[in-house]
Amino acid sequence: MQTTNMISVKESSLEKIEYQNLPGDFALWIFIFAEMLVFGVLFIAYAFSRAQNVALFNDSQLTLNRGFGAINTVILITSSYFVVRGVAAIKKDLTHQCAYWLSGALVLGSVFVGIKMVEFYEKFNAGISMSTNNFYMFYLSLTFFHLMHVLMGMVILATIIARTRRGAYSAKQHTGVETGASFWHMVDFLWIILFPLVYVIR
Amino acid sequence: MQMSQSTLFSTCIFVLLVALTFATFSIGEAGMAGKYTMLILLAIAMIKSQMVAHYFMSLHQTRPLWRLIMLMYFVIVGGLIAVAYLIGLA
Repeated sequence: MQTTNMISVKESSLEKIEYQNLPGDFALWIFIFAEMLVFGVLFIAYAFSRAQNVALFNDSQLTLNRGFGAINTVILITSSYFVVRGVAAIKKDLTHQCAYWLSGALVLGSVFVGIKMVEFYEKFNAGISMSTNNFYMFYLSLTFFHLMHVLMGMVILATIIARTRRGAYSAKQHTGVETGASFWHMVDFLWIILFPLVYVIR
Repeated sequence: MQMSQSTLFSTCIFVLLVALTFATFSIGEAGMAGKYTMLILLAIAMIKSQMVAHYFMSLHQTRPLWRLIMLMYFVIVGGLIAVAYLIGLA
């Protein structure tokens, strides 16, 4: 009895855990890691620059619309969730559902862009520019750089939606959907760090 | 329509992420500041980002190396931001 138990323990310990590859195209993951590195350096540069002039950063931060920042965070999180549902749908061969979920994410992406435009308009209208002070230099460059990634993500999502509608993806072949999804999630988690860093922490 | 277990799990993660965003916003609106507030806000941001990477990006199903790289990114970036803020407070 004891020998049988020992054998079964040995067998179970020899069972290999099957890991999956990174979701989507590996080449895009190189790009994702590179982008994370660039944003990481910018976040750290912002924090150390703030340490040189805390009062200026705190005063300037008060002029930002924290509500817009929070709404945009919820929008990106919701769009990321829609993308998760889209990937889950294509894995079940539900192409129409996948296209609907991804379209929802795309609509939310455009709402994010709209809110960001209003925010930028308010700042430029108040005479604020990148040369106003160090805080605004970081705020405008970080959020604009992130906005470029949102727009790039929207182009990728739109392409995937069009291809999904044409039947290019299925339960067996959906690397393209996963690739676009990974990029969109990266855009989401970078904003999740950016929001408290620039809008809240003081 | 019945939700699959993985969909239900993703939905729970989504609700948690929204709740943590509301917590961050509320802390900001309350005008809270200082060392501990900064550390709590940074921790919330890094946990939220890790949740997106781990569950939404499906990194939890990949090799430990990829998960470690992602975790180290959040730890290093979050850690250095915290150090910079502590220098500012000093």
